Amino acid sequence: MTNLKDLLAHEVVVGLTEGQFSAEEYVISILKRIEEVESKVHSFITLDSEGALSSAKILDKKLREKEEIGQLAGVVVGIKDNISTQGIRTTCASRILEKYVPTYDATVIKNLKENGAIILGKLNLDEFGMGSTTEYSRYQPTHNPWNLDYVPGGSSGGSGAAVAAGECTVALGSDTGGSIRCPSSFCSVVGLKPTYGRVSRYGLISYANSLEQIGPICRSVKDLVMMLNIISGKDRMDSTSMSSSPITVSNKSNNLNVAIIKELITDSDPEVTKSVYGASEKFREIGCSCEEVSINNLNYALPSYYTLASAEASSNLARYDNLRYGFDYPIEEYKWETYFSNVRESFGEEVKRRILIGSYVLSSGYYGKYYLKARRLRSLLRLELLTLFKKYDLLIGPTMPILPFKFGEKIDDPIKMYLVDINTVLANLAGIPAISLPIGFSNGLPIGLQIMAAPFEEQKLLDASYELEKVINIQRVPNSI
Amino acid sequence: MIGLEIHAQITALKSKLFCSCRGNYRDLRANSNICEICCGLPGSLPIINQRAIEFSTMTSIALGCKVPEKIMFYRKNYFYPDLPKNFQITQYNVYGISSIGIDGKYELDDAKQIRISRIQLEEDPGRIAYSEGGMNVRNSALIDYNRAGVALIEIVTEPDFTGPKEVRQFLNKLSLTLEHLGVCDTLLEGSVRCDVNVSMNGGNRVEIKNINSFKEVEKAINYEITRQSSVYNRNLKVEHETRHWDDKKKITFKARSKEEEHDYRYFPEPDIPIIVLGSDFVANLERQMPELPIQRFDRFISKYKLSEHTSNILINDKKLADFFESVLKLHFSPTEIANILVTDFKSLIEDDTESTDYLKNLKVKPEHIAELVKLIEDNKISRITAKDILVKIFESGKLPSEVVSSNNSYKIADEKTIMDAVQSVFDNEKSAVEDAKKNREAINFLLGKVMKFTNGRADPKIAMRIINSKLSDPEKQ
Amino acid sequence: MKNNMISKEDLEHLAQISRINLTENELEKFPKQLDKTIEYIDILKELALDDSVKLDLPELRFEELRKDEINMSDDMRLSKNITEDGFLRGPKMK
Repeated sequence: MTNLKDLLAHEVVVGLTEGQFSAEEYVISILKRIEEVESKVHSFITLDSEGALSSAKILDKKLREKEEIGQLAGVVVGIKDNISTQGIRTTCASRILEKYVPTYDATVIKNLKENGAIILGKLNLDEFGMGSTTEYSRYQPTHNPWNLDYVPGGSSGGSGAAVAAGECTVALGSDTGGSIRCPSSFCSVVGLKPTYGRVSRYGLISYANSLEQIGPICRSVKDLVMMLNIISGKDRMDSTSMSSSPITVSNKSNNLNVAIIKELITDSDPEVTKSVYGASEKFREIGCSCEEVSINNLNYALPSYYTLASAEASSNLARYDNLRYGFDYPIEEYKWETYFSNVRESFGEEVKRRILIGSYVLSSGYYGKYYLKARRLRSLLRLELLTLFKKYDLLIGPTMPILPFKFGEKIDDPIKMYLVDINTVLANLAGIPAISLPIGFSNGLPIGLQIMAAPFEEQKLLDASYELEKVINIQRVPNSI
Repeated sequence: MIGLEIHAQITALKSKLFCSCRGNYRDLRANSNICEICCGLPGSLPIINQRAIEFSTMTSIALGCKVPEKIMFYRKNYFYPDLPKNFQITQYNVYGISSIGIDGKYELDDAKQIRISRIQLEEDPGRIAYSEGGMNVRNSALIDYNRAGVALIEIVTEPDFTGPKEVRQFLNKLSLTLEHLGVCDTLLEGSVRCDVNVSMNGGNRVEIKNINSFKEVEKAINYEITRQSSVYNRNLKVEHETRHWDDKKKITFKARSKEEEHDYRYFPEPDIPIIVLGSDFVANLERQMPELPIQRFDRFISKYKLSEHTSNILINDKKLADFFESVLKLHFSPTEIANILVTDFKSLIEDDTESTDYLKNLKVKPEHIAELVKLIEDNKISRITAKDILVKIFESGKLPSEVVSSNNSYKIADEKTIMDAVQSVFDNEKSAVEDAKKNREAINFLLGKVMKFTNGRADPKIAMRIINSKLSDPEKQ
Repeated sequence: MKNNMISKEDLEHLAQISRINLTENELEKFPKQLDKTIEYIDILKELALDDSVKLDLPELRFEELRKDEINMSDDMRLSKNITEDGFLRGPKMK
């Protein structure tokens, strides 16, 4: 029997149903794997082995008694630590939520549990989702399983690394400007940011509410489709959520019109460019056409993103005043004039910077200059992309313009760090779905291809990804960590 | 120049504005009426209450405002311990119309129009109890979020008021309107708050906050006008500032200087999409919404043929008007019923009008009045007797017919009995009888005596006829 | 704030309205870093956008909104700094 920890999600469900192994056995094999590698990778902030084993036992009992077990039965899921899990500490990788234990589950968590998935624990991220390397976590940085000296990407770095390292079957991340796709690209796994509104944000601890979505990170497209179907859906608890049709993985060949966005390739690392052109060849292999196309307004995309995201963040993070929840702070310090500021000193640097910029762009006199312009640019960009999608089914390019880099390389210069997101923010600004698919390596460092589609066209996106995955056939798990 | 900014809770709602916690938070243990949403827990999202939009639209319509086809919500960002998210979800019209009503007008009794600048929907913060009463709380404030998230309608007027009397009239009419719409019970504790802007002689504007009931508003304005006048009289300048109303000391005092101009950094609330009301929304709502005071007034006059004076009294007391119409359902005699209600009935309940439940707790029900009026109209009792009966049924709750028979109060219509009564009076009032022969006025005196003799039960018409015939016929004296 | 130069006073004002205390270290390096960021987003001023560009915002119809009903959950309890009577203890106001 193959090493249990290497099983893909769909293989776990089949294996359990056919009685090849028990859920408890499976969870134990995952926990063993964690013991082996976690001290090197540091994916987890909170590991709930007891909870996972207990859920596994309940599942095994149901199996024995031939009860309904759900479509994700036995699948072990790691949850990015900015998604609310009832009874399990949720920190957003911040000191300010060190002791916060939510009293409710996010809708996506409810959906997973109802379908038999096992929640393993909370995965590392850049504090409050702000960052691209997980170096801004206030707990510890996560290491890229492909090369421990390198960053795993961010902000869902813990999720990307855990999936690549086999520390869970699949994971959930969140994506505000690329936070699912970046770690997926850097860790050679598959990650999807769904169409805005496809997945409920209820329980996702907000960084920038008009830009972000929860999405799956997996080792195969088929697993991703399973997860996506379970977490998608209109939710009465999230007024921005919308209903959508379930995705079916099919074997049909495509005839899709694909276009490479020129501007995303021109400034990329040559190794990355080579890989992407290689991938476009593969598209032609599976029966799609591929040409190059240009987008105007791209140089305004990243500035617009940072304006909007910081503005929303400055307001979303105002609630962290340690009154109702938070961390330990001496009661004698409670004086009205200084209380809030003293408590919030505990935010990390990057969070502070973004809050300050956010307050700046929203302050009176500046609203029209930055925020309103950014909103309008956003509409313009969306319009431009939707027009392109009338002609093309898919738009592609490199997920990241560069290869994974070492710790500390960009942390002293915020702008350098922001530029890492330059390819990914497009999809968040326009609200369209975007996936990162592993397409190659350079010196052992992973490269990812980004594929985007029109709103709610995840089926097209995933059809192409599924086919491409088969012909590209990239390794998903490092041989040794 | 005086302008108002009124916050009225939508007390008619069962739940809060953005979550399903109870809308009525009164008398509950602290922090027992909360959920993730109204406490601003991480990851929670607001879900707007459909009925709140209906109520606030009705209010906009009643105040003559334009209602846009699409509305939006904004965040007003500031830090305060009673504000769970450290921002308030509200509406804001600077970058385009977002609020539920704009550019309205409201007419006072003398046809003066007060312009309504805007009406908006927003959430109430929680409450802070300061350190009073033992419990070792000298070093901290006590916060209760039970009220956080309750729906508020904010009504802002232009500074069109010229004096406190106009303000009082406006607030009375507004309360009545809100009551008729069912939107807000202004007698409920804490259901309305009013801020007032006062500027005199083109001078600086002073904002007075913290007035917690409509009744206090007039007092606060009077105090402030006096204060500003005295400042002028000393040749000093009135400062542009915020003051608070102290309802114990009945003065306004300068607010702590910490209340500087806030930069609220308004921006659109990303978690609530634009709400599309549609082009028919207002028309549909107008058809369904409860009758406004002016409409009811017109109806009482045209349909029930009541006088303007009587209608006015009824309209200004919605519960009395409702009672009136309940009686009408049992016995259709508008004028008679209305007369009793606005005179004797009203004076009996006068002491009780402050309580929200008044009329509900009365022993007298519509059936009682209906029966009473029937008895009068069937000529079984006189109007004078009716007054006494009313008092008795008020106390006992018994039906009029019961009281009448047990006290033997039925009208006397029997000629012989009345003749005996008249005779008895004539025997005892010889000089009055002489006067009456010469002076018509004096006959009423005799009639009065006959009524007294019969405990008010004699049919006055018959008695009068007998008196007249006796006077003119020397034989019958 | 002029010429994109964030002075120490500007920074302190921003920190105050955001209610965030900055460490000595942060007070040192933030002005330059924030400057660079503002300079970066300043490119937006090149955009000559006016009201003719429609804001592409999600919409919800009145009919789809939540009905007015009470639905209390028993799970929600504040647990931090609660007095015997259920009040939350907060900073001293006076």
